[in-house]
Amino acid sequence: MSHPLTYRRAFLYAAGAAATLVALPAFAADPAAQLILDISAEVVELMKTKTGIDRQNGFQRILETKFDLPYMGQMALGKYWDGTTPEQRARFLKATATAEARAYNERFGQYGGQSVTVNKVSPRANGVFEVDSQINQPNGGEPVKLRWEVQNRGSGLRVTDVKVEGVSMVMTRRSDFSAYIQRNGGNADALIRELEARAGR
Amino acid sequence: MVEGILVSVAGLRRSVVLVAAMAALAGGCATNDTKDQEVWDPLETPNRFIFSINRAVDVIAIRPLTVFYRDWMPEPGQKGVHNALENIQTPVTAINEVVQGSPKRAANSMARFLVNSTIGVAGLFDVASSLGLPKTREDAGKTIGMYAGVPPENGGPYLVLPLAGPSNFRDAAGLLADYAVDPFRILTYALNVDWIVYSGPRAAVTVVDARSRTLFALDDIEKNSVDYYAALRSAYTQQRAELIREKREKTDSRSELDRRDNLALVH
Repeated sequence: MSHPLTYRRAFLYAAGAAATLVALPAFAADPAAQLILDISAEVVELMKTKTGIDRQNGFQRILETKFDLPYMGQMALGKYWDGTTPEQRARFLKATATAEARAYNERFGQYGGQSVTVNKVSPRANGVFEVDSQINQPNGGEPVKLRWEVQNRGSGLRVTDVKVEGVSMVMTRRSDFSAYIQRNGGNADALIRELEARAGR
Repeated sequence: MVEGILVSVAGLRRSVVLVAAMAALAGGCATNDTKDQEVWDPLETPNRFIFSINRAVDVIAIRPLTVFYRDWMPEPGQKGVHNALENIQTPVTAINEVVQGSPKRAANSMARFLVNSTIGVAGLFDVASSLGLPKTREDAGKTIGMYAGVPPENGGPYLVLPLAGPSNFRDAAGLLADYAVDPFRILTYALNVDWIVYSGPRAAVTVVDARSRTLFALDDIEKNSVDYYAALRSAYTQQRAELIREKREKTDSRSELDRRDNLALVH
């Protein structure tokens, strides 16, 4: 008769132990929140002090130092990544970095006066920290929901994806890129040339 | 007039059957999953065709009209128009909240509707929000998605609807269902209100209002994609999935709270 009790107690201990183990990454999650706050502060500073190409270069520097661009590029290229040469990869990453910097520069050009607050950090089993944050509009408009994925893949904690209102940047790019590849010869070369042409424009 | 009501009820029943059939179809596609994170799009060729027509119509007519509206209509006016459209849509939200099993939220929506229709001057002013009745927006696509036992990214085959744009079987079925149960539509149909007085203007204003609220986001996606159709398809699917996921999570914690309340009552 004592078996169920023992099992239950054992289960409780196990659950307690697991809870302690899970609680530890939650403390370690603070650097992830700090990373997002740092990025926000740098972006606000950049918007206040720089314009035009200087600002775009500023965005590119933030992307290169705070985001894991090689990993994001690999994810965005999806199954086509494996079929590319190192030289193609380098060209692809260079073109996408320029494209993203330009996109962010134009995107924020039409904004002004907003702030970012970090709400919650949820560590996941696969080593990814999900940081929930929001952009608060100065005119009392509805805040924009941003969810960042942060992970350490060898070069310190870096952003690996941004979801705006549930729309993942990396996943949208992957759909975009793979559709382009499928409709233009089935390998990444056409895509890379198109991206380079756009980056040069 | 009675005849009108009967006809509209018959029409409603037909729509409900159709919706049920489409929902079953949407639910039946569990196997065609989004493993590759790609959207299931078996109708891509016709979809791309309608997409290109939509874009032409947008470039020629809707976008210029919307830009004119955005630049020349005073901000409070735009806000009033948006509030009024939301107000007309509130009964449909309330019906969906009932079906979603959230009677309290449905009551909140109906209270909002009553307050804004009267004190808010036919919905032009959102008085209810300042009275502590928060705005909610539900549609039958979300309701189907909430109950369908499939990942929220799976809404059945992707669809591009003429004028309305990105959708899928789930959300198109939802549009039909919302249209079928819309009290304003049933009432104006029963009263034989001419389309030029009510449904025509409502549709036109809805298009301009909706487009004005998507100008920035759609321009952004178009500019920063190499295949606009595919990028929009992905973004639409993800955004709808996020709304449905929120819905499921909220309901889960709600039912948990209700369960605890009931326990407390028993003891």
